[in-house]
Amino acid sequence: MYLAEHDVVVGQDLSVGYEKHNPLITNINFEFKEGQIIAINGASGIGKTTLLRTLAGLLNPVKGGVSVFGSSTIRRGEVGYIPQRLGLIRHASVYHNVMLGAKAGHTSAWFPFSSICKPVSLQAIESVGLTHKLRTPIRKLSGGQQRRVAVARTLAQKPRLILADEFLAELDEETLIMVMKKVLDYVKQNNAIMVLVEHDLNRARQMADRLFTAEGNKLVEIFNEEDEVHE
Amino acid sequence: MNEHREKYELEEKPTPFLNAWYQWRWPAVFVTLAVLAVMVTHSTIEGNWQKLFESPRNVQTFFRESLWPPDWSVLEPQAYPVCEEPKLLEFTCSTAWIGVLETLKIAFIATVFGMFISYPIALLAAENLSPAWISYPARTFLAAFRSLPSILWALLFVIMVGLGPMAGIMAMTIYTVGYLGKLQYEAIEGVAKPQLDASRAMGHGWLERSFGVILPESANNLISQAIFMFEYNFRHGTVIGIVGAGGIGYYINLYLDFLQYDKVFAYVIVIFIVVLILDFVSKVTRSLFKDDMTKKMHPFWTVLLPSSWVQRFDEE
Repeated sequence: MYLAEHDVVVGQDLSVGYEKHNPLITNINFEFKEGQIIAINGASGIGKTTLLRTLAGLLNPVKGGVSVFGSSTIRRGEVGYIPQRLGLIRHASVYHNVMLGAKAGHTSAWFPFSSICKPVSLQAIESVGLTHKLRTPIRKLSGGQQRRVAVARTLAQKPRLILADEFLAELDEETLIMVMKKVLDYVKQNNAIMVLVEHDLNRARQMADRLFTAEGNKLVEIFNEEDEVHE
Repeated sequence: MNEHREKYELEEKPTPFLNAWYQWRWPAVFVTLAVLAVMVTHSTIEGNWQKLFESPRNVQTFFRESLWPPDWSVLEPQAYPVCEEPKLLEFTCSTAWIGVLETLKIAFIATVFGMFISYPIALLAAENLSPAWISYPARTFLAAFRSLPSILWALLFVIMVGLGPMAGIMAMTIYTVGYLGKLQYEAIEGVAKPQLDASRAMGHGWLERSFGVILPESANNLISQAIFMFEYNFRHGTVIGIVGAGGIGYYINLYLDFLQYDKVFAYVIVIFIVVLILDFVSKVTRSLFKDDMTKKMHPFWTVLLPSSWVQRFDEE
């Protein structure tokens, strides 16, 4: 039996890491539900990024299993991943980068063309305020603008699960609030799930419904909005 | 415990022998290598060092009697077919011009065809894109193309399709596929991991990743490599003509057979000038496709200098 229903992301007895005998995070169990924003906090090198990469299907679990919306393999367009270094194509334009997201979300691998991709991409670029930079190559943008492109790529993809690794770093206060609001609105309106690694504990608490902290080899839940509401 | 203490003491107070070894180990290695090379040379030439010492005198005689002055008639129009160009453009009917142009054409066509053929193979050969059971055979395939020098490929194609530029184009294309393919898969493997991670997580297919992510990300490198390859193909194109595969090498071979070394020397000077021009053009063009656009351009005459000297300009 694999673990779960079609609207949750589940980890069961999950251990993640690069070496089988020396996992970074061991034996964790979680269930992330639709519409939830989950923040993970903790010291550097403790395995937060490794956990995100495992959820994105880029790494096999050392032990245990992950089920993303009822499947142990990732389906096309279902996961939007914003790595720490963003993963943008530096020599390509803003439009090309965002189009890659739109294509993943709205076309099949065998025929990656659809008339819907263009308006979706343009809308996503507009929503992060970069319409005037449409044809600019990524390498000519500032660090903050590049982060906005990464967010636009994810929004254009319309994924059900967003995995973001410190995606708010390097942003000025005004842009940070704008980008944060866009992503949070997207998650709530589309009933998506967002798992983000965030170093700033206050910001993590402000954004997230659930907050985990990585300590030693464990992932400890330190805040759950649902519980607070019940209390 | 004792062992540990001994080691510790050894590190603290090196013996005079160890001291000397640490100080002189690299000079000792180089001297040993040099002595070894001289010994191997001695046995190979069967102790006949006299030949080596006579060689400068031979070169001097050959240069004075056969090479100098170069015979610039190679820049004059051929007797047949009759040149119909105006006086100022008559040099375009010369064998030097025709030969250089043909070699340039062979190099250009071979580079373009080679580039298009090698890219799909390089994608298969890149370890970050394809599994080992695909990448290793693809690498072996490219290595096989590279293992024969272009002149041997030319010889094979002259046998297959006859004398002329067609054999040259085919030989150079094959060699370009092998050589450029290797450079390309190395460039592809150099594409940063986050780009590929993001693409994999989104669920892009192999073709989408290859042409939508890898191609634009490594385009600067690929273009720069193709320009380098064109320059390389021109230099080697002069050699393949010697076996009858067209280009300026054909004329060089012709005059070598007639022992007209002064004409051969004139061709060599022409090739040298074209290579210099090509080197400069290639350098300027490649600088437009560099990742680091802030790097300053070097003056044109630096093409004559070794690259390590040119780097000093950057440091200054």
